[in-house]
Amino acid sequence: MSPPTSVIFRTGNIITTGRTSLEKSNQELLNSLRQNFEDAASRATGQQLSWIEARGGTYYAPGAEEPDGLSEERTEYDITVKLFYLPGVPLSKRRDHTREALQHVLRELRVPSIDLLIISFPNISFDAEDHSPDTEPTPAEVDEWAETYQALEALQLEGQIKRIGLSEFGVARLLKLLPRTTIKPSVDQINVRDCCVVPKPLIQFAKEQKIELLTHNDCTNILPSSALQSLLQENHHAAFGDFKNIEPQWVVKYTAVIQDRGVVENKGYFAMAKINIDGV
Amino acid sequence: MGLLSLGTPLTWEEAKPHADLVRERGIEQLLNIWKKAKSKERDILLWGDEIEYLVVSYDEDSKDARLSLRQAEILGDLAHDEELRKAGGCVPSLQEINQKPGQRVPTFHAEYGRFMLEATPGAPYGGMLRDLLTVEPDMKKRRVIAKQHMTKNETPITMTSFPRLGVPGAFTQPYYPPHGPIARSIFVPDEIINPHIRFPTLTANIRSRRGSKVCINLPVYYDEKTPNPFKDPTVQYDLSDYPEDGDVRNGAAKDGHVYMDAMGFGMGSCCLQITFQAKNISEARTLYDQLCPLGPIMLALSAASPIFKGYLTDIDCRWNIISGAVDDRTEEERGLKPLSENKYVIPKSRYDSVSTYISQDPGFRPEYNDVDIHQNLPLKQKLIDGGMDEPLAKHFAHLFIRDPLVIFSESIKNYLVENNDNFENIQSTNWQHMRFKPPPSAEDAIGWRVEFRSMEVQLTDFENAAFSIFIVLLTRTILSYGLNFYIPISKVSENMETAHRRDAVLSEKFYFRKQVFPPRYANRNNKGSSTSPGGSMSNTPKPAELGPVEDEYCLMTINEIMNGQQTPDGFPGLISLIESYLNSVNVDVETRCELARYLDLIRKRSNGTWETAATWIRNFVRGHPEYEKDSRVNAAVNYDLVKAAETLGNGEGKGTSLWKGLFEKR
Repeated sequence: MSPPTSVIFRTGNIITTGRTSLEKSNQELLNSLRQNFEDAASRATGQQLSWIEARGGTYYAPGAEEPDGLSEERTEYDITVKLFYLPGVPLSKRRDHTREALQHVLRELRVPSIDLLIISFPNISFDAEDHSPDTEPTPAEVDEWAETYQALEALQLEGQIKRIGLSEFGVARLLKLLPRTTIKPSVDQINVRDCCVVPKPLIQFAKEQKIELLTHNDCTNILPSSALQSLLQENHHAAFGDFKNIEPQWVVKYTAVIQDRGVVENKGYFAMAKINIDGV
Repeated sequence: MGLLSLGTPLTWEEAKPHADLVRERGIEQLLNIWKKAKSKERDILLWGDEIEYLVVSYDEDSKDARLSLRQAEILGDLAHDEELRKAGGCVPSLQEINQKPGQRVPTFHAEYGRFMLEATPGAPYGGMLRDLLTVEPDMKKRRVIAKQHMTKNETPITMTSFPRLGVPGAFTQPYYPPHGPIARSIFVPDEIINPHIRFPTLTANIRSRRGSKVCINLPVYYDEKTPNPFKDPTVQYDLSDYPEDGDVRNGAAKDGHVYMDAMGFGMGSCCLQITFQAKNISEARTLYDQLCPLGPIMLALSAASPIFKGYLTDIDCRWNIISGAVDDRTEEERGLKPLSENKYVIPKSRYDSVSTYISQDPGFRPEYNDVDIHQNLPLKQKLIDGGMDEPLAKHFAHLFIRDPLVIFSESIKNYLVENNDNFENIQSTNWQHMRFKPPPSAEDAIGWRVEFRSMEVQLTDFENAAFSIFIVLLTRTILSYGLNFYIPISKVSENMETAHRRDAVLSEKFYFRKQVFPPRYANRNNKGSSTSPGGSMSNTPKPAELGPVEDEYCLMTINEIMNGQQTPDGFPGLISLIESYLNSVNVDVETRCELARYLDLIRKRSNGTWETAATWIRNFVRGHPEYEKDSRVNAAVNYDLVKAAETLGNGEGKGTSLWKGLFEKR
């Protein structure tokens, strides 16, 4: 049997793991992965590799634990998932990656569907303080967005997601994408250091289109290859010795909030990377 | 304020023989509620604030600002307002309240002082972040509605203490001479007391039970021309109308201090209180404990009362004044005489900081309850026999060492275990800085609640909203991250004392916990390896041995507590914890922008960019041309100060420079 060619990294529920929650999402992801690796390694007995599981052509790090799921009825929660497509990954993979990422979250939370799936395209950012009109997107970009968006529309029709969200879309981008959609996005999430300076035209346009403008604090490049490489090469992670030339493909963040009480019960990340084993 | 039953109240001598009966029935009523409501689950977050107002009356000819005693008439007018009546009514003590959802009208309540009003949102706020944006407008609406039902020369202000309450001469409108039979005060007339029979009875019975007038001495603020040593010149030593007139001849008034002798000095102060509904009894106990160490911090940060009885004092907060103003302990109970009539020496007033934690969270260590507290042991046994756990039984058994102060003869005759009147009689006259509130009855839809009681009311509704919202966001952050703020309860009491000192917010340090995150292997849902069938615990690393409790906390400035310590492993600061919570939930742009303004106020009050109301008021007086640098706040200074408070309260001092120093204009 050929060795696995991909690996799924999992943080588990990080809401009560302390300090990591104070960091920006890229640091939060790396530090909580590190913490989860350490926890898994210290629980593992015998062979050091035993906490990494190979199953169906994929490594799981750490290996599949029985997920805790949520403690109350599904209807009590507002579950938001944000999927980060990473740079350099072929567009043709987006559909599969989207489904795959969502499946991991559904399994982790033991739920059949989520409330909101927000997608983040690589290499686009939103600068609220830049008052120059958004640069006109190229037709190729718009095609890329529209094609990816169709994957979300399909998931919505299947009932796996209730609402679709975009991120970092200004008016110019929205104007190009909206005509190519059949199910309108409900949310546009923007990164604003000072959220009181969101451009008026965007506020106005979002209102007209009934798109909710949400804030976030994620960074543009959530998991650079080099950052993942160096995490895996840290001495105490000898388990990853075989993983060379690892290329992150996507990152997904999920949050389950008890709606009526505003309490975050579960939050975590999955990341998927392609691996090239030496000599293969 | 507690419940206002109608009936025939008993004097202290008449009430005393019934004290044990009321306590026993109170415990029975509590057990009845507890047994049925302890399994209540999944109650949603509902919360509300209470804001108290002073009603002032201007005499524009003599440039004087006095306290208006028209509370009853104003409430009557509010109740008769046709429009408000159509909207569902707004005075629960005078009319049936029947508000439709989505049509919230503020409600108004009487308070101890006949010059006070209390207002609350007509219906509680919900758990959605967007609901937080309705808080400030609701508070503003209350002020406007209250003002509409006052005369032209009257106005509601949100100052914690009225600077000239109890000065010689007229400070009320109309004037009444002091030294009435109820309070027997040298300084204030009985007419400042809400005439509802509960309040005069409470006043008189506290005095009777204590065996003397209450006694409050505040260190004077020595200014350039303050006589040194200062001897309060307003004290009259030669009165002989009541036995209590001898108090001052026996040394009640201390040198260097402003002396006060009546309940009205304390209960005439205004506070900002927040009540939350928890999802169940266990979450309520968690919140009670976790907010407990925040009480003194928020007191110092909200400090707003540097002036009492016409003098600048050397303290910034009201809390200890109220504590002294309702201190019904006898000399024996205060440890001044050997015990003979009384059962216990009681270290604290009925109005004081919390003395025992009540949660059973894994983060709790028995060492945190490091104060030996008196408990009513027979009643505690009843609670335990009824199935209540030790920590909660201990909490109530501690409250139930107190005597009922006001007993209505009707309530002795008409006892029903299904009611809560006897329980509330004791519960609502224990005024600690947190209050743990069971549902009003076993059948009620209302759940278990926790009240946060230490904050002083702020001059503007922007600030009042900011403090309220800060506390609400903090509770959500505590519950999400499983934060642990425990320090030994004795340190909370010490912090409470520290909080009173002049400018404590910037110049004092407070005991605070260093590591607030839960231990690494804690699993909040209690699922996972420890309970999985057949799962072995052996692979789970043992939690680190707990070190000495003394290593868990240190002294921090309020700036460090709010904005974080600069060291790499230092305390991250409550504001960044709240911000990271906000980053984990979906917040729309407008809400986040508004919340940022509120958090910014807390941030900048903590780091000294902006002043507390106490500092602002002190500076206002000291900078006034008619202030004589002798600590006295005369009528002219008071008039301008009250006008300034009014201007700030209405539109945050727009068009003036009054707001400078307090906050940033929008």
